[in-house]
Amino acid sequence: MIRVVLVDDHELFRAGVRGELAGLVDIVGEAGTVAEAGPLIRELDPDVVLLDVHLPDGGGEAVIATVAPERPAVKFLALSVSDAAEDVIAVIRAGARGYVTKTISRDELFDAVRRVSDGDAVFSPRLAGFVLDAFRTGEPLGADEELETLTPREREVLQLIARGYLYKEIAARLHLSVKTVEAHVSSVLRKLQLSTRHELTRWAQERRLV
Amino acid sequence: MTQIPVLQFQRSERDRVVAGICGGIADALGVDPTLVRLVFALLSLAGGAGILLYFALWVWTGGRHPVIAVLILALATMGLLQALGVPLAVVLGAGLMVGGVVLLARRGATLRPGGSFFIPGIALAMAGAVVMLDHLGSSHHFVGPGALAGALLLVLGPWVWQLASERNERIRLAERAAMAARIHDSVLQTLALVQRDADDAPRVRALARRQERELRRWLYGRGYDGATTIADALADAVADVEEAHLTRIELATAGDTAIDDALGELVLAAREAMVNAAKHANSDEISVYAEVEPTSVSVFVRDRGVGFDPGTVGADRRGIADSIESRLRRAGGSATITSSPGNGTEVELTMPRGGES
Repeated sequence: MIRVVLVDDHELFRAGVRGELAGLVDIVGEAGTVAEAGPLIRELDPDVVLLDVHLPDGGGEAVIATVAPERPAVKFLALSVSDAAEDVIAVIRAGARGYVTKTISRDELFDAVRRVSDGDAVFSPRLAGFVLDAFRTGEPLGADEELETLTPREREVLQLIARGYLYKEIAARLHLSVKTVEAHVSSVLRKLQLSTRHELTRWAQERRLV
Repeated sequence: MTQIPVLQFQRSERDRVVAGICGGIADALGVDPTLVRLVFALLSLAGGAGILLYFALWVWTGGRHPVIAVLILALATMGLLQALGVPLAVVLGAGLMVGGVVLLARRGATLRPGGSFFIPGIALAMAGAVVMLDHLGSSHHFVGPGALAGALLLVLGPWVWQLASERNERIRLAERAAMAARIHDSVLQTLALVQRDADDAPRVRALARRQERELRRWLYGRGYDGATTIADALADAVADVEEAHLTRIELATAGDTAIDDALGELVLAAREAMVNAAKHANSDEISVYAEVEPTSVSVFVRDRGVGFDPGTVGADRRGIADSIESRLRRAGGSATITSSPGNGTEVELTMPRGGES
Protein backbone atom coordinates (compact mmCIF):
# COMPACT_ATOMS: atom_id res chain seq x y z
CA MET A 1 0.00 0.00 0.00
CA ILE A 2 1.22 3.50 -0.82
CA ARG A 3 2.59 5.26 2.27
CA VAL A 4 1.30 8.83 2.50
CA VAL A 5 2.07 11.80 4.75
CA LEU A 6 -0.59 14.51 4.96
CA VAL A 7 0.54 18.12 5.42
CA ASP A 8 -2.28 20.60 5.95
CA ASP A 9 -2.95 23.08 8.72
CA HIS A 10 -6.68 22.31 8.84
CA GLU A 11 -7.36 19.45 11.23
CA LEU A 12 -10.85 19.02 9.78
CA PHE A 13 -9.56 18.71 6.27
CA ARG A 14 -6.93 16.14 7.33
CA ALA A 15 -9.62 14.11 9.08
CA GLY A 16 -11.72 14.23 5.91
CA VAL A 17 -8.89 13.02 3.67
CA ARG A 18 -7.95 10.35 6.22
CA GLY A 19 -11.52 9.06 6.18
CA GLU A 20 -11.77 9.14 2.41
CA LEU A 21 -8.50 7.39 1.73
CA ALA A 22 -8.81 4.82 4.55
CA GLY A 23 -8.16 1.36 3.13
CA LEU A 24 -6.83 2.75 -0.14
CA VAL A 25 -3.52 4.16 1.09
CA ASP A 26 -1.57 3.96 4.34
CA ILE A 27 -1.53 7.40 6.00
CA VAL A 28 1.61 7.13 8.11
CA GLY A 29 1.83 10.68 9.44
CA GLU A 30 0.33 14.16 9.55
CA ALA A 31 1.73 17.63 10.03
CA GLY A 32 0.21 21.10 10.18
CA THR A 33 3.23 23.36 9.67
CA VAL A 34 6.40 23.59 7.63
CA ALA A 35 8.44 23.16 10.82
CA GLU A 36 6.67 19.91 11.73
CA ALA A 37 6.54 18.57 8.21
CA GLY A 38 10.28 18.65 7.44
CA PRO A 39 11.54 16.32 10.24
CA LEU A 40 8.43 14.11 9.98
CA ILE A 41 8.84 13.44 6.26
CA ARG A 42 12.59 12.87 6.62
CA GLU A 43 11.93 10.35 9.39
CA LEU A 44 9.02 8.48 7.81
CA ASP A 45 10.32 8.55 4.22
CA PRO A 46 6.83 8.10 2.68
CA ASP A 47 6.05 7.43 -0.99
CA VAL A 48 3.83 10.47 -1.41
CA VAL A 49 3.27 13.70 0.52
CA LEU A 50 -0.10 15.38 0.10
CA LEU A 51 0.90 18.99 0.54
CA ASP A 52 -1.22 22.04 1.17
CA VAL A 53 -0.06 25.07 -0.84
CA HIS A 54 -0.62 27.41 2.11
CA LEU A 55 0.76 26.69 5.57
CA PRO A 56 0.90 29.06 8.54
CA ASP A 57 4.71 29.29 8.54
CA GLY A 58 5.35 29.28 4.81
CA GLY A 59 4.23 27.86 1.51
CA GLY A 60 4.22 24.23 0.49
CA GLU A 61 7.34 25.03 -1.53
CA ALA A 62 9.24 25.54 1.76
CA VAL A 63 8.48 21.94 2.76
CA ILE A 64 9.72 20.66 -0.59
CA ALA A 65 12.87 22.77 -0.30
CA THR A 66 13.77 21.31 3.11
CA VAL A 67 12.95 17.69 2.30
CA ALA A 68 13.83 17.16 -1.36
CA PRO A 69 17.65 17.34 -1.05
CA GLU A 70 17.71 14.52 1.53
CA ARG A 71 14.79 12.46 0.31
CA PRO A 72 14.75 12.79 -3.46
CA ALA A 73 12.46 9.77 -3.85
CA VAL A 74 9.56 11.35 -1.94
CA LYS A 75 6.88 12.59 -4.37
CA PHE A 76 4.80 15.66 -3.62
CA LEU A 77 1.23 16.25 -4.72
CA ALA A 78 -0.04 19.78 -4.09
CA LEU A 79 -3.54 20.05 -2.74
CA SER A 80 -5.15 23.42 -2.36
CA VAL A 81 -8.23 25.57 -2.42
CA SER A 82 -6.11 28.30 -3.94
CA ASP A 83 -7.26 29.83 -7.16
CA ALA A 84 -4.20 31.99 -7.64
CA ALA A 85 -2.06 30.77 -10.50
CA GLU A 86 1.16 32.04 -8.93
CA ASP A 87 0.66 29.98 -5.74
CA VAL A 88 0.11 26.81 -7.67
CA ILE A 89 2.90 27.44 -10.15
CA ALA A 90 5.29 28.21 -7.27
CA VAL A 91 4.75 24.78 -5.68
CA ILE A 92 5.02 23.00 -9.00
CA ARG A 93 8.24 24.81 -9.79
CA ALA A 94 9.60 23.87 -6.37
CA GLY A 95 9.19 20.22 -7.39
CA ALA A 96 5.64 19.00 -6.79
CA ARG A 97 4.55 16.33 -9.30
CA GLY A 98 1.05 17.68 -9.62
CA TYR A 99 -1.75 19.82 -8.34
CA VAL A 100 -5.35 18.97 -7.52
CA THR A 101 -8.06 21.10 -5.93
CA LYS A 102 -9.47 20.17 -2.54
CA THR A 103 -12.92 19.59 -4.00
CA ILE A 104 -11.59 16.55 -5.87
CA SER A 105 -13.60 13.34 -5.45
CA ARG A 106 -12.29 10.38 -3.47
CA ASP A 107 -11.65 8.17 -6.50
CA GLU A 108 -9.86 10.93 -8.37
CA LEU A 109 -7.72 11.74 -5.35
CA PHE A 110 -6.71 8.11 -4.95
CA ASP A 111 -5.97 7.89 -8.65
CA ALA A 112 -3.84 11.06 -8.42
CA VAL A 113 -1.86 9.69 -5.43
CA ARG A 114 -1.25 6.42 -7.24
CA ARG A 115 -0.16 8.18 -10.39
CA VAL A 116 2.23 10.50 -8.55
CA SER A 117 3.71 7.58 -6.62
CA ASP A 118 4.39 5.89 -9.99
CA GLY A 119 6.38 8.95 -11.00
CA ASP A 120 3.77 10.43 -13.31
CA ALA A 121 2.49 13.98 -13.29
CA VAL A 122 -1.04 14.89 -12.28
CA PHE A 123 -2.73 17.95 -13.69
CA SER A 124 -6.16 19.04 -12.58
CA PRO A 125 -8.25 20.84 -15.23
CA ARG A 126 -7.48 24.10 -13.48
CA LEU A 127 -3.72 23.56 -13.55
CA ALA A 128 -3.95 22.64 -17.23
CA GLY A 129 -5.71 25.97 -17.78
CA PHE A 130 -2.94 27.85 -15.94
CA VAL A 131 -0.24 26.15 -17.98
CA LEU A 132 -1.97 26.81 -21.29
CA ASP A 133 -2.36 30.40 -20.17
CA ALA A 134 1.33 30.76 -19.32
CA PHE A 135 2.55 29.15 -22.55
CA ARG A 136 -0.15 30.76 -24.68
CA THR A 137 1.43 34.02 -25.74
CA GLY A 138 4.50 36.09 -25.12
CA GLU A 139 8.06 35.47 -26.09
CA PRO A 140 10.14 32.74 -24.58
CA LEU A 141 13.08 34.18 -22.66
CA GLY A 142 15.55 31.34 -22.71
CA ALA A 143 17.62 30.09 -25.61
CA ASP A 144 16.28 26.56 -25.22
CA GLU A 145 13.40 26.69 -27.68
CA GLU A 146 12.29 23.14 -26.89
CA LEU A 147 11.85 24.00 -23.21
CA GLU A 148 10.04 27.28 -23.77
CA THR A 149 7.17 26.12 -25.94
CA LEU A 150 4.61 23.33 -25.87
CA THR A 151 4.44 20.95 -28.80
CA PRO A 152 1.06 20.85 -30.61
CA ARG A 153 0.50 17.40 -29.12
CA GLU A 154 1.18 18.56 -25.57
CA ARG A 155 -1.16 21.48 -26.11
CA GLU A 156 -3.85 19.09 -27.32
CA VAL A 157 -3.42 16.83 -24.30
CA LEU A 158 -3.57 19.79 -21.90
CA GLN A 159 -6.66 21.19 -23.59
CA LEU A 160 -8.41 17.87 -23.15
CA ILE A 161 -7.39 17.73 -19.48
CA ALA A 162 -8.76 21.25 -19.02
CA ARG A 163 -11.99 20.11 -20.70
CA GLY A 164 -12.37 17.39 -18.06
CA TYR A 165 -11.18 14.29 -19.93
CA LEU A 166 -9.48 11.42 -18.12
CA TYR A 167 -6.14 10.13 -19.42
CA LYS A 168 -7.72 7.02 -20.90
CA GLU A 169 -10.36 9.11 -22.65
CA ILE A 170 -7.67 11.39 -24.02
CA ALA A 171 -5.72 8.37 -25.23
CA ALA A 172 -8.76 7.00 -27.03
CA ARG A 173 -9.58 10.35 -28.59
CA LEU A 174 -6.07 11.03 -29.86
CA HIS A 175 -5.40 7.38 -30.79
CA LEU A 176 -2.52 7.15 -28.37
CA SER A 177 -1.69 4.77 -25.54
CA VAL A 178 -2.28 5.92 -21.97
CA LYS A 179 1.49 5.65 -21.44
CA THR A 180 2.07 8.14 -24.24
CA VAL A 181 -0.45 10.56 -22.74
CA GLU A 182 1.35 10.24 -19.41
CA ALA A 183 4.66 10.91 -21.14
CA HIS A 184 3.27 14.12 -22.66
CA VAL A 185 2.00 15.30 -19.30
CA SER A 186 5.34 14.52 -17.62
CA SER A 187 7.11 16.45 -20.36
CA VAL A 188 4.85 19.46 -19.75
CA LEU A 189 5.61 19.23 -16.03
CA ARG A 190 9.34 19.28 -16.79
CA LYS A 191 8.91 22.37 -18.96
CA LEU A 192 6.81 23.98 -16.27
CA GLN A 193 9.61 23.45 -13.76
CA LEU A 194 12.55 24.38 -15.96
CA SER A 195 11.21 26.97 -18.38
CA THR A 196 12.22 30.60 -18.03
CA ARG A 197 9.12 31.96 -19.74
CA HIS A 198 8.39 35.27 -18.19
CA GLU A 199 4.84 34.42 -17.06
CA LEU A 200 6.27 31.57 -15.02
CA THR A 201 9.23 33.51 -13.69
CA ARG A 202 7.02 36.45 -12.88
CA TRP A 203 4.64 34.26 -10.92
CA ALA A 204 7.52 32.56 -9.19
CA GLN A 205 9.26 35.85 -8.45
CA GLU A 206 6.15 37.18 -6.81
CA ARG A 207 6.50 34.24 -4.46
CA ARG A 208 10.26 34.87 -4.16
CA LEU A 209 11.21 31.55 -5.60
CA VAL A 210 13.67 32.42 -8.33
CA MET B 1 -5.28 63.49 18.65
CA THR B 2 -2.06 62.81 16.79
CA GLN B 3 1.05 64.74 17.60
CA ILE B 4 3.72 66.23 15.45
CA PRO B 5 5.67 63.30 14.10
CA VAL B 6 8.98 62.83 15.82
CA LEU B 7 11.09 60.02 14.48
CA GLN B 8 10.78 57.30 17.11
CA PHE B 9 13.97 55.33 17.15
CA GLN B 10 15.88 53.32 19.68
CA ARG B 11 19.51 52.39 19.78
CA SER B 12 19.81 49.13 17.97
CA GLU B 13 20.85 46.20 20.13
CA ARG B 14 21.86 43.88 17.34
CA ASP B 15 23.18 46.26 14.68
CA ARG B 16 25.78 48.42 16.35
CA VAL B 17 29.28 49.65 15.70
CA VAL B 18 29.61 52.26 18.49
CA ALA B 19 26.30 52.79 20.26
CA GLY B 20 23.78 51.46 17.75
CA ILE B 21 22.53 54.93 16.76
CA CYS B 22 22.87 54.43 13.00
CA GLY B 23 21.32 50.95 13.20
CA GLY B 24 18.41 52.37 15.20
CA ILE B 25 17.78 55.19 12.74
CA ALA B 26 17.96 52.75 9.85
CA ASP B 27 15.38 50.53 11.58
CA ALA B 28 13.05 53.45 12.22
CA LEU B 29 13.33 54.73 8.64
CA GLY B 30 13.34 51.27 7.12
CA VAL B 31 16.54 51.86 5.14
CA ASP B 32 19.91 50.15 4.92
CA PRO B 33 22.10 50.94 7.98
CA THR B 34 25.12 51.33 5.70
CA LEU B 35 23.37 54.26 4.03
CA VAL B 36 22.80 55.96 7.38
CA ARG B 37 26.44 55.38 8.36
CA LEU B 38 27.54 56.87 5.04
CA VAL B 39 25.46 60.01 5.67
CA PHE B 40 27.02 60.38 9.13
CA ALA B 41 30.50 59.89 7.69
CA LEU B 42 29.91 62.59 5.05
CA LEU B 43 28.52 64.94 7.69
CA SER B 44 31.62 64.36 9.80
CA LEU B 45 33.69 65.88 6.99
CA ALA B 46 31.61 69.06 7.35
CA GLY B 47 33.12 70.67 10.42
CA GLY B 48 32.73 67.47 12.43
CA ALA B 49 28.93 67.86 12.31
CA GLY B 50 28.38 64.13 11.87
CA ILE B 51 30.34 63.25 14.99
CA LEU B 52 28.56 65.91 17.04
CA LEU B 53 25.19 64.79 15.69
CA TYR B 54 25.98 61.22 16.66
CA PHE B 55 26.80 62.24 20.23
CA ALA B 56 23.68 64.42 20.36
CA LEU B 57 21.49 61.48 19.42
CA TRP B 58 23.31 59.21 21.83
CA VAL B 59 22.64 61.56 24.73
CA TRP B 60 19.09 62.07 23.45
CA THR B 61 18.25 58.36 23.49
CA GLY B 62 19.58 58.18 27.04
CA GLY B 63 16.66 60.51 27.82
CA ARG B 64 18.22 62.00 30.95
CA HIS B 65 19.92 65.09 29.51
CA PRO B 66 17.78 66.39 26.66
CA VAL B 67 19.13 69.92 27.03
CA ILE B 68 22.72 68.75 26.56
CA ALA B 69 21.61 66.78 23.53
CA VAL B 70 19.92 69.82 22.03
CA LEU B 71 23.03 71.88 22.73
CA ILE B 72 25.28 69.39 20.92
CA LEU B 73 22.76 69.20 18.09
CA ALA B 74 22.77 72.98 17.70
CA LEU B 75 26.59 72.90 17.67
CA ALA B 76 26.49 70.20 14.98
CA THR B 77 24.22 72.34 12.80
CA MET B 78 26.46 75.34 13.27
CA GLY B 79 29.52 73.27 12.38
CA LEU B 80 27.82 72.07 9.22
CA LEU B 81 26.78 75.55 8.12
CA GLN B 82 30.19 76.98 8.93
CA ALA B 83 31.79 74.29 6.81
CA LEU B 84 29.48 75.28 3.96
CA GLY B 85 30.81 78.83 4.21
CA VAL B 86 27.66 80.43 5.63
CA PRO B 87 28.23 83.71 7.53
CA LEU B 88 28.69 83.39 11.30
CA ALA B 89 25.47 85.23 12.28
CA VAL B 90 23.39 82.93 10.09
CA VAL B 91 25.18 79.94 11.59
CA LEU B 92 24.38 81.16 15.10
CA GLY B 93 20.73 81.88 14.16
CA ALA B 94 20.31 78.47 12.55
CA GLY B 95 21.79 76.79 15.62
CA LEU B 96 19.32 78.56 17.90
CA MET B 97 16.40 77.69 15.59
CA VAL B 98 17.33 74.02 15.41
CA GLY B 99 17.60 73.87 19.18
CA GLY B 100 14.18 75.51 19.55
CA VAL B 101 12.42 73.33 17.01
CA VAL B 102 13.89 70.14 18.46
CA LEU B 103 12.75 71.16 21.93
CA LEU B 104 9.27 71.79 20.53
CA ALA B 105 9.21 68.43 18.83
CA ARG B 106 10.44 66.71 21.98
CA ARG B 107 7.46 68.10 23.85
CA GLY B 108 5.13 66.81 21.15
CA ALA B 109 3.80 70.29 20.38
CA THR B 110 0.71 70.47 18.22
CA LEU B 111 -1.09 73.21 16.35
CA ARG B 112 -4.50 71.71 16.94
CA PRO B 113 -6.86 73.60 19.26
CA GLY B 114 -5.98 72.75 22.83
CA GLY B 115 -2.43 71.84 21.90
CA SER B 116 0.41 73.14 23.99
CA PHE B 117 3.69 74.82 23.10
CA PHE B 118 6.87 74.63 25.01
CA ILE B 119 7.74 78.27 25.67
CA PRO B 120 11.58 77.95 25.89
CA GLY B 121 11.50 76.11 22.57
CA ILE B 122 9.58 78.88 20.84
CA ALA B 123 11.78 81.52 22.40
CA LEU B 124 14.94 79.82 21.17
CA ALA B 125 13.58 79.36 17.66
CA MET B 126 12.40 82.96 17.42
CA ALA B 127 15.67 84.31 18.73
CA GLY B 128 17.45 82.26 16.08
CA ALA B 129 15.18 83.61 13.35
CA VAL B 130 15.74 87.19 14.51
CA VAL B 131 19.55 86.81 14.53
CA MET B 132 19.48 85.20 11.11
CA LEU B 133 17.08 87.68 9.50
CA ASP B 134 18.88 90.62 11.05
CA HIS B 135 22.07 89.58 9.35
CA LEU B 136 20.50 88.50 6.07
CA GLY B 137 18.36 91.62 5.87
CA SER B 138 21.47 93.73 5.39
CA SER B 139 23.49 91.67 2.97
CA HIS B 140 21.40 89.01 1.20
CA HIS B 141 18.11 90.55 0.09
CA PHE B 142 17.00 87.49 -1.77
CA VAL B 143 17.63 85.08 1.05
CA GLY B 144 15.42 86.90 3.57
CA PRO B 145 12.05 85.94 2.04
CA GLY B 146 13.32 82.39 1.62
CA ALA B 147 14.23 82.17 5.28
CA LEU B 148 10.79 83.48 6.22
CA ALA B 149 9.12 80.94 3.99
CA GLY B 150 11.33 78.28 5.54
CA ALA B 151 10.28 79.29 9.02
CA LEU B 152 6.62 79.18 7.96
CA LEU B 153 7.17 75.73 6.47
CA LEU B 154 8.72 74.55 9.70
CA VAL B 155 5.61 75.60 11.55
CA LEU B 156 2.98 74.59 8.98
CA GLY B 157 4.65 71.45 7.66
CA PRO B 158 3.69 69.20 10.53
CA TRP B 159 0.14 70.49 10.37
CA VAL B 160 -0.16 69.65 6.66
CA TRP B 161 1.42 66.29 7.34
CA GLN B 162 -1.15 65.67 10.03
CA LEU B 163 -4.04 66.46 7.68
CA ALA B 164 -2.64 64.03 5.12
CA SER B 165 -2.20 61.26 7.63
CA GLU B 166 -5.74 61.73 8.88
CA ARG B 167 -6.96 61.35 5.32
CA ASN B 168 -5.05 58.07 4.99
CA GLU B 169 -6.57 56.93 8.24
CA ARG B 170 -10.06 57.71 6.91
CA ILE B 171 -9.39 55.72 3.74
CA ARG B 172 -8.19 52.79 5.81
CA LEU B 173 -11.29 52.91 7.98
CA ALA B 174 -13.51 53.03 4.89
CA GLU B 175 -11.75 49.99 3.43
CA ARG B 176 -12.18 48.14 6.66
CA ALA B 177 -15.87 49.04 6.78
CA ALA B 178 -16.30 47.78 3.22
CA MET B 179 -14.63 44.50 4.18
CA ALA B 180 -16.82 44.13 7.26
CA ALA B 181 -19.90 44.78 5.15
CA ARG B 182 -18.81 42.23 2.57
CA ILE B 183 -18.16 39.59 5.20
CA HIS B 184 -21.47 40.36 6.83
CA ASP B 185 -23.42 40.26 3.58
CA SER B 186 -21.97 37.09 2.20
CA VAL B 187 -20.04 34.99 4.68
CA LEU B 188 -22.29 35.41 7.70
CA GLN B 189 -25.40 34.96 5.57
CA THR B 190 -24.01 31.76 4.16
CA LEU B 191 -23.10 30.47 7.62
CA ALA B 192 -26.64 31.21 8.78
CA LEU B 193 -28.08 29.32 5.81
CA VAL B 194 -25.72 26.41 6.42
CA GLN B 195 -26.91 26.14 10.01
CA ARG B 196 -30.53 26.24 8.94
CA ASP B 197 -30.16 23.68 6.17
CA ALA B 198 -27.62 21.51 7.96
CA ASP B 199 -29.54 18.30 7.13
CA ASP B 200 -29.67 19.03 3.43
CA ALA B 201 -26.18 17.99 2.35
CA PRO B 202 -26.38 18.92 -1.35
CA ARG B 203 -27.71 22.36 -0.48
CA VAL B 204 -24.99 22.94 2.13
CA ARG B 205 -22.39 21.88 -0.39
CA ALA B 206 -23.79 24.25 -3.01
CA LEU B 207 -23.89 27.12 -0.52
CA ALA B 208 -20.31 26.47 0.48
CA ARG B 209 -19.16 26.30 -3.13
CA ARG B 210 -20.85 29.54 -4.02
CA GLN B 211 -19.46 31.32 -0.98
CA GLU B 212 -15.99 30.00 -1.69
CA ARG B 213 -16.15 31.31 -5.24
CA GLU B 214 -17.44 34.74 -4.23
CA LEU B 215 -14.87 35.19 -1.50
CA ARG B 216 -12.03 34.06 -3.71
CA ARG B 217 -12.98 36.34 -6.54
CA TRP B 218 -13.19 39.23 -4.13
CA LEU B 219 -9.87 38.36 -2.42
CA TYR B 220 -7.94 38.05 -5.65
CA GLY B 221 -8.96 41.54 -6.62
CA ARG B 222 -11.04 40.88 -9.67
CA GLY B 223 -14.35 42.70 -10.07
CA TYR B 224 -17.00 41.53 -7.73
CA ASP B 225 -20.29 42.88 -8.99
CA GLY B 226 -21.14 42.87 -12.67
CA ALA B 227 -18.46 40.76 -14.33
CA THR B 228 -16.55 42.61 -17.03
CA THR B 229 -14.39 39.78 -18.37
CA ILE B 230 -15.29 36.47 -19.88
CA ALA B 231 -13.62 34.42 -17.11
CA ASP B 232 -15.53 36.29 -14.40
CA ALA B 233 -18.82 36.05 -16.29
CA LEU B 234 -18.35 32.30 -16.70
CA ALA B 235 -17.53 31.97 -12.99
CA ASP B 236 -20.82 33.75 -12.24
CA ALA B 237 -22.74 31.45 -14.59
CA VAL B 238 -21.07 28.40 -13.03
CA ALA B 239 -21.99 29.55 -9.52
CA ASP B 240 -25.60 30.21 -10.55
CA VAL B 241 -26.04 26.81 -12.13
CA GLU B 242 -24.32 25.03 -9.24
CA GLU B 243 -26.67 26.67 -6.81
CA ALA B 244 -29.85 26.22 -8.82
CA HIS B 245 -29.21 22.59 -9.74
CA LEU B 246 -27.13 21.42 -6.79
CA THR B 247 -24.33 20.10 -8.95
CA ARG B 248 -20.57 20.51 -9.09
CA ILE B 249 -18.93 22.32 -11.97
CA GLU B 250 -15.17 22.53 -12.44
CA LEU B 251 -14.13 25.67 -14.32
CA ALA B 252 -10.74 26.12 -16.00
CA THR B 253 -9.76 29.08 -18.15
CA ALA B 254 -6.76 30.01 -20.26
CA GLY B 255 -6.57 33.69 -21.09
CA ASP B 256 -9.19 36.32 -20.47
CA THR B 257 -10.66 39.27 -22.31
CA ALA B 258 -13.18 42.05 -21.80
CA ILE B 259 -16.72 41.00 -22.47
CA ASP B 260 -18.77 42.44 -25.35
CA ASP B 261 -22.26 41.69 -26.69
CA ALA B 262 -21.21 38.66 -28.72
CA LEU B 263 -19.19 37.20 -25.85
CA GLY B 264 -22.16 37.89 -23.58
CA GLU B 265 -24.21 35.61 -25.85
CA LEU B 266 -21.43 33.03 -25.67
CA VAL B 267 -21.59 33.05 -21.88
CA LEU B 268 -25.40 32.71 -21.96
CA ALA B 269 -25.14 29.79 -24.37
CA ALA B 270 -22.51 28.16 -22.12
CA ARG B 271 -24.82 28.66 -19.17
CA GLU B 272 -27.61 26.99 -21.11
CA ALA B 273 -25.32 24.05 -21.87
CA MET B 274 -24.42 23.75 -18.16
CA VAL B 275 -28.08 23.77 -17.15
CA ASN B 276 -28.73 21.16 -19.79
CA ALA B 277 -25.97 18.92 -18.44
CA ALA B 278 -27.10 19.44 -14.85
CA LYS B 279 -30.68 18.51 -15.69
CA HIS B 280 -30.28 15.62 -18.10
CA ALA B 281 -26.82 14.11 -17.87
CA ASN B 282 -27.30 12.45 -14.49
CA SER B 283 -23.61 13.06 -13.80
CA ASP B 284 -22.15 14.41 -10.60
CA GLU B 285 -19.53 16.50 -12.30
CA ILE B 286 -19.50 18.95 -15.16
CA SER B 287 -16.33 20.46 -16.60
CA VAL B 288 -16.21 23.85 -18.25
CA TYR B 289 -13.11 25.07 -20.06
CA ALA B 290 -12.77 28.44 -21.75
CA GLU B 291 -9.89 29.40 -24.00
CA VAL B 292 -9.29 32.91 -25.29
CA GLU B 293 -7.29 32.90 -28.50
CA PRO B 294 -6.25 35.83 -30.68
CA THR B 295 -9.04 35.27 -33.19
CA SER B 296 -11.71 33.43 -31.21
CA VAL B 297 -13.02 32.42 -27.82
CA SER B 298 -14.05 28.80 -27.23
CA VAL B 299 -15.99 27.32 -24.35
CA PHE B 300 -16.30 23.57 -23.78
CA VAL B 301 -19.02 22.23 -21.51
CA ARG B 302 -18.59 18.55 -20.79
CA ASP B 303 -20.35 16.04 -18.61
CA ARG B 304 -19.57 12.38 -18.06
CA GLY B 305 -23.24 11.44 -17.83
CA VAL B 306 -25.67 9.26 -19.74
CA GLY B 307 -25.21 10.96 -23.10
CA PHE B 308 -27.61 10.51 -25.99
CA ASP B 309 -27.69 9.52 -29.62
CA PRO B 310 -27.77 12.71 -31.69
CA GLY B 311 -29.72 10.80 -34.37
CA THR B 312 -32.63 9.96 -32.09
CA VAL B 313 -32.86 12.90 -29.74
CA GLY B 314 -35.94 13.63 -27.72
CA ALA B 315 -37.84 16.77 -28.57
CA ASP B 316 -36.76 18.56 -25.40
CA ARG B 317 -33.06 18.08 -25.96
CA ARG B 318 -33.36 19.06 -29.59
CA GLY B 319 -35.05 22.23 -28.43
CA ILE B 320 -32.28 23.11 -26.03
CA ALA B 321 -29.64 22.36 -28.61
CA ASP B 322 -31.51 24.63 -30.99
CA SER B 323 -31.63 27.42 -28.49
CA ILE B 324 -27.90 27.14 -27.92
CA GLU B 325 -27.06 26.83 -31.58
CA SER B 326 -29.36 29.53 -32.91
CA ARG B 327 -28.38 31.94 -30.13
CA LEU B 328 -24.72 31.61 -31.10
CA ARG B 329 -25.38 31.76 -34.83
CA ARG B 330 -27.25 35.02 -34.43
CA ALA B 331 -24.23 36.49 -32.65
CA GLY B 332 -21.83 35.17 -35.30
CA GLY B 333 -20.55 32.06 -33.54
CA SER B 334 -21.07 28.32 -33.80
CA ALA B 335 -21.88 25.35 -31.59
CA THR B 336 -21.03 21.67 -31.93
CA ILE B 337 -22.61 19.02 -29.76
CA THR B 338 -20.93 15.65 -29.42
CA SER B 339 -22.58 12.82 -27.55
CA SER B 340 -23.21 9.12 -27.59
CA PRO B 341 -25.14 6.97 -25.12
CA GLY B 342 -23.05 6.15 -22.06
CA ASN B 343 -20.16 8.44 -22.96
CA GLY B 344 -21.42 11.80 -21.77
CA THR B 345 -21.89 14.94 -23.78
CA GLU B 346 -19.65 17.77 -24.83
CA VAL B 347 -20.85 21.09 -26.16
CA GLU B 348 -18.25 23.18 -27.95
CA LEU B 349 -19.09 26.86 -28.38
CA THR B 350 -16.95 29.19 -30.45
CA MET B 351 -17.21 32.91 -31.05
CA PRO B 352 -14.86 34.85 -33.32
CA ARG B 353 -13.27 37.89 -31.70
CA GLY B 354 -13.24 41.42 -32.96
CA GLY B 355 -15.65 42.48 -35.76
CA GLU B 356 -18.95 40.91 -34.75
CA SER B 357 -20.69 39.60 -37.86
